[in-house]
Amino acid sequence: MKTIERLDPQVRTCIRKRGFTALSDAQKQAIPLILDGNNIVLIAPTGTGKTESAMFPVFNGLLPLPAGGGFKAIYITPLRSLNRDILSRMQWWCAELGLTVGVRHGDTPMGERRKQALSPPDLLITTPETFQALFMGKRLRQHLAHVKYVIIDEIHELAGSKRGAQFAVGLERLHVYAGDFQRIGLSATVGNPEDIAGYLCGSRPYTIVQVPVAKQLELAVQYVGDDFRHQTAVLSKLLKREGSTLVFVNTRVTAEALGHALFAHGDVEVHHGSLSREVRIDAEERFKKGEIRTLICTSSMELGIDIGRVDHVIQFGSPREVARLVQRVGRAGHQLNTISRGTVLATGFDDLLESLVIAKKARANEIERVVPHRHAADVLANQVAAIAVEYGEIERSRIREICERTSLFPDCGTLLEDVCRQMEDHRLIRIDGSRIVTTARARRYLAGNLSMIHDERKVPIFDIVSRRTVGTLDESFVVGWVHTGVVFITKGQLWRVLEIADGRLTVEPANKAIGELPSWEGEQIPVPFSVAREAGAIRRTRDVAAYRPEQDGLAFAEAFLREMDKNRSLVPTDELITLENTEDGVVCNVCAGHKANEALGRVLSILISARYGTTVGLELDAYRMLLRLPSSVRAADVRDFLLSLDPAHMPGVLRLALKRTALFKWKLVQIAKKFGAIDPDADYEKISIQRLLEYFDGTVVQQEAYRELLSEYMDIDTAAAIVSLIREGKIRVELGPHSLIGAGGLLSSRDQIPPPTADGAVLATLKRRLNQDDVLLGCMNCRDWKSRTVVSRVDEHPQCPKCGARLIAALKPYEEEQYALMKKQRKNAEERVIEQRLMRNANIVLSSGKKAVIALSARGVGPENASRILATLTEGDAFYREILRAERTFVQTHRYWA
Amino acid sequence: MNLEFIRDGPALVIEGEQRLLVVADLHFGIEADLAAHGLHFKSRSTERLERLMKTIDHADPDALILLGDIKHSIPSLTRQEYYEMPGILETLRSRVPLIVFPGNHDIGIERFVRDDELKPRDGALIDGVGYLHGHMYPAPHLYGNLIVIGHHHPLISLKDEVGCALQAPAYIRAGLDTETREAQDPGSPVGSTRVLFMPAFNELAGYDIFQMVKHPFSPLSRGMNVNAAEIILTDGTYIGPLNSLEPDEDD
Repeated sequence: MKTIERLDPQVRTCIRKRGFTALSDAQKQAIPLILDGNNIVLIAPTGTGKTESAMFPVFNGLLPLPAGGGFKAIYITPLRSLNRDILSRMQWWCAELGLTVGVRHGDTPMGERRKQALSPPDLLITTPETFQALFMGKRLRQHLAHVKYVIIDEIHELAGSKRGAQFAVGLERLHVYAGDFQRIGLSATVGNPEDIAGYLCGSRPYTIVQVPVAKQLELAVQYVGDDFRHQTAVLSKLLKREGSTLVFVNTRVTAEALGHALFAHGDVEVHHGSLSREVRIDAEERFKKGEIRTLICTSSMELGIDIGRVDHVIQFGSPREVARLVQRVGRAGHQLNTISRGTVLATGFDDLLESLVIAKKARANEIERVVPHRHAADVLANQVAAIAVEYGEIERSRIREICERTSLFPDCGTLLEDVCRQMEDHRLIRIDGSRIVTTARARRYLAGNLSMIHDERKVPIFDIVSRRTVGTLDESFVVGWVHTGVVFITKGQLWRVLEIADGRLTVEPANKAIGELPSWEGEQIPVPFSVAREAGAIRRTRDVAAYRPEQDGLAFAEAFLREMDKNRSLVPTDELITLENTEDGVVCNVCAGHKANEALGRVLSILISARYGTTVGLELDAYRMLLRLPSSVRAADVRDFLLSLDPAHMPGVLRLALKRTALFKWKLVQIAKKFGAIDPDADYEKISIQRLLEYFDGTVVQQEAYRELLSEYMDIDTAAAIVSLIREGKIRVELGPHSLIGAGGLLSSRDQIPPPTADGAVLATLKRRLNQDDVLLGCMNCRDWKSRTVVSRVDEHPQCPKCGARLIAALKPYEEEQYALMKKQRKNAEERVIEQRLMRNANIVLSSGKKAVIALSARGVGPENASRILATLTEGDAFYREILRAERTFVQTHRYWA
Repeated sequence: MNLEFIRDGPALVIEGEQRLLVVADLHFGIEADLAAHGLHFKSRSTERLERLMKTIDHADPDALILLGDIKHSIPSLTRQEYYEMPGILETLRSRVPLIVFPGNHDIGIERFVRDDELKPRDGALIDGVGYLHGHMYPAPHLYGNLIVIGHHHPLISLKDEVGCALQAPAYIRAGLDTETREAQDPGSPVGSTRVLFMPAFNELAGYDIFQMVKHPFSPLSRGMNVNAAEIILTDGTYIGPLNSLEPDEDD
C-alpha cells in the first residue's frame, strides 16, 4: 500500500488542499514507521518536510481519540520563535481536522495559561523549560496523563546540552503519568545518530530514518583576504549577483560591522541574539516578503524558522564546524529536492585551510558527533528539587528509577546521594530517612531555575572617563574573578577596575595589560580536533589543490607557504610542533583544535608556573598557543616540559591547574546556583568570593565544575593522545624563529594560571619594592661623597667618584645624619659605635656589590642580618626568600612595633 | 614585647608579661545573614570553633582576646545565636580565660559573657598594648601605644611579573594622621600611635584594602595615615608599604 493511503481520508484531504502533490523522501520513510507506533529519530536536512513527516501520522492518531480531557500530543522546540512558527503552521491543520492547538512558553499571557489548565488543547507546542513548568500545577499534571505523542524538533540542539539532559529526565517524569507514549525526534545531520536515539528513548526500541544531506549541497570556498574593506567589497559584489541571501557570521560584532558596511545597499538587515525580539521578527518578516534581499545573521538563524525562499547562503569566515556549515547552507533552496548553494568567504591562511577542510568533510558527510552530558550533577539537583515540589515527598529510590530510565544517568545511585546531601546543606530539600521532602525554598528555587540555561545577570561596565556604559560582563565571571585594580580586555580595549558597587563595574581605560580577562560569552565556536588536524596535514603535504580551492585561494596559500620557506621558518603541521620565542613569551604551534590546545596549554602553564613560581598567561586558538612567561623562561624550557609530560598524569595536573583560574570560579558559581546555594539575585558584596569557593572543596558541586570543564571546554583525552604521539616520535617538537604562522591567528581565550602558592606574587612584590626603595650611598673612605638614589639605579659595584674607593655604605635615607657624623674628627663612644656599623655596612657592599645594597635596603636588615643573608650564597629567588625570612623575623620583634 | 603570627587563624600572639592570643571577627551565625542575601550555606559554626580550639592549642596562651564581632546578627539575636553562643563561649572558657571587646555586631553579648571578661567598647590597655574592636574612637588613654583592632576584615591583592592578582587576608600597620590624633587627644606624643588592623578569623569575611582606603568606614580607617601604612601577610611576611602596591599604570 502506498504511504499516503495508510492515512485517514480526512488527513489526505487536507494534504491535497494544502497543495502537496508528492511526499518527500523523508515523509515516505518516516510516516509508515510512525503509523506503526515506533519511536523514531528522523535525520534530514532542513526543508525536507520534517515537521509534516511527524505530524501527518500524529494527526492520524489523534483523530479517533475522544475530544478534550488533556494534552494528547506535545511538540517541543528549543526556541520560542520556532514555537510561534510551528503554531502558525499547525493552526491551519488543526482547524481543518477539528483538533485544538495551543502554545505555551515564557511569553504566554496568564489568561491563555489559565484557559489551557481548564480546557487543555489536543496539541500543545512548548519549549523544554515550559514543559518543566507543567509538572508544577496539579490540574496540568492530570492533563499530562493523556499524552500519546511527544515530538522533539531540532533534537540535535538539545541532546548535547544541559537543557537537554534536564529534558530527558522530564520525559521520564512524564512517563510516570502517561505510561508509554510515542517519541519522535527530528534532527539535523549528526555524526552519531544512535546516541541521539538513545537520548530520546533511553533503553526502549527505536528506529532511525536518515535522509543524507551531502548530495544536495553545492559548496565553494573563496579567498577574500584579511582587509575588511576588500572583504566587504567582494561580499557586496556577490550580493548584487545573487537573489535572496543569508550571510552567516560567527560573532555579533562582525554582524554589526558588516551591516554597517553594507548599509548603502538599502536591502540588508542584521539579525542576532542581542537585538530585541521585535527587531528580529520584523527582519524575518521583511525577508520573507522579499522586501529585503540580504539578512546578515549569527547562529540565531540556523534553526528552521520559515523565512521563505533563500537562493544562496554565504558564510563569512570559516564556519569552524562541519555541522554548522551543513546546517547553515541547508537554509538555501528551501524547497523539496532543490540544491542548496553555499559559499564560504575565507579571510586568512588558517581560515582558508580550515574552510577547505570543512567543505570537503561536508561533501563527504563527515559531521561531528553530538556528545550528551552524562551524570551532570547540577541537572540532577535541579530535577530532584523539581520532583520534590511535584510530589511533596518521595522515596529516593523512585527518583533514581526515573533518572535511570534516561540514557544520561545510568547507575546514578551514589551521585544521587551526594547531590541530595549537598542540596540539604543549602536547605533546598530535607532528607527524612529514605525519603526526600520539599521545602518552602524549593518552590521558590524552581520558579527561578526552570531552565538549565544560565540566565546570567549582565553587569554593566561603566567608563568613568567617558562617563558611559561600554559593555557588560557575565555576573558569575565578575564574581569569580574581578576585583579592584584588575585589568581586563573587552571590546578590544583594556580597562582597569576602580570599583564594584551597586551592581556595576566602574572602570577607567588602561594602557598596559597586567592580566587579561577572558570573556566567555559563548560566541566562540571551537574548531574540532579533526578539522585542525587535517588543516595541519595540508600544511605538511602542501597539496592545497586537492581541496579544490578557487584560483585566488590556491595562489595565496602557496605564496604563504613559500614565504615561510623563504624566511627559513619551520612550518608546523599535524606531525610537527614548533616552539617560537617572542617578546611576550613562547608560541607553541600545535594543530589540535581549541579544546585540546586548551587542555595542553593549561597543563604546560601549571607545570611552568609551579617550577618558576610565577603566573603564566595563556592565550590560544585552534592552531597555536601563546604562553606569557617571564623573560627567563624560553622555548627550549617549554620543550623540556612538553617532552617530559606523562599522559597518565595530565588529567590530575589539569584539575590542579583549573582550580584557581577565573574559568573554574565562573563555572563553580554557575553550578552552585543550580544547587540552590546561591540565589539568582544574590548580593555578593556580603562575602569574600575567594573564601566562598573553598566552601565547595571536595563537594559534588566542585566535582561537577570539573566534569563540565574537562568535557565541554577542553579535551584532555585528545591532549594526552598528542603527548603520547610525541613520546612515540610520531609528532616531532622543534624550536624555530618567530614565524608568520606563529604570529598569526586571533588569540581568543585568555586566562591566567597562578602558581600553586602565593610565593611568586609575594616575591615579585618584594623585588619591586626593594628596587624602588630609596638608598643613600656614602663613601666611607674619603667620607666626603654621598648620593641619594633608588636601588634599581645602583651600579653592580658602586664606586666613589671623588676618591675612587669602593668602600661605600648603603644607608637608609633616615641615616643621613649618621653619615654626617663620620666627618667629625673626635667622636664620642656612641658615635664610634655608629662608625663601626657603617664600616661593616661598607665592607659588605665592597665584597658583595649590589646584592648587598639590595639586602641592606630590606626592612629591619642591618649589617649583621645582611651578612647572614649573603653568607647563604643564594641567588635569584632563593636570595629574595632569605630576605623575606629576615623581614618576617623583624616584624615579630619589639623594634618594629614599639 | 614580641608578636607571633599564626597563619592558620589568622591569629596573633602578643607576648609581654602575659602570652595573649588575639582573634578578631568570628561572626558566628553569619550564615543566616548570608541566606537573607541569597547565599545559602550550612552553618559552619562547629568547624570554625574547632579551628579556634586548634589555634588555642597551638598557641597555648595565658588568655584569649576576642576582638569583637563574636556573633553576627544585628540588631537582635537570632534563634541560632541564642542557642549556639553559650556553648561556644563555654567551650572556649573551659580551655582558656577570655577577654572580650564587644563589636558592633555584639549587641546582646552581655547575656553570654561574664562581667569580669567584658571590656569597654572603646578599648583598654593590656600589657601596654591597646585593644578594641575598631568601630569607634579609641579611649583617649590608648593613644601613644600600639592599638590592635578588628572590624575591617582586610584582604590584599598581589601581582607578579605576568600580572595575576592573588587575594589574601592581611594585616595593616599604620600611624594616624596628626589631625585625628589631636582631635581626640591633644598633647599626646607625636607619631607614637600605631594601629594594627587584624584580618577576620571568619573564613567568609574579607574586604579589599584598596576599597577600604578609598571608602573608609570607621574613625580609625578614616584617620589612618595611608602613606605610611604597611602590609603584613598572615604568616608574618612583610609585604611593604601599601602605596608601593597600589595599581600603577607604569609598573
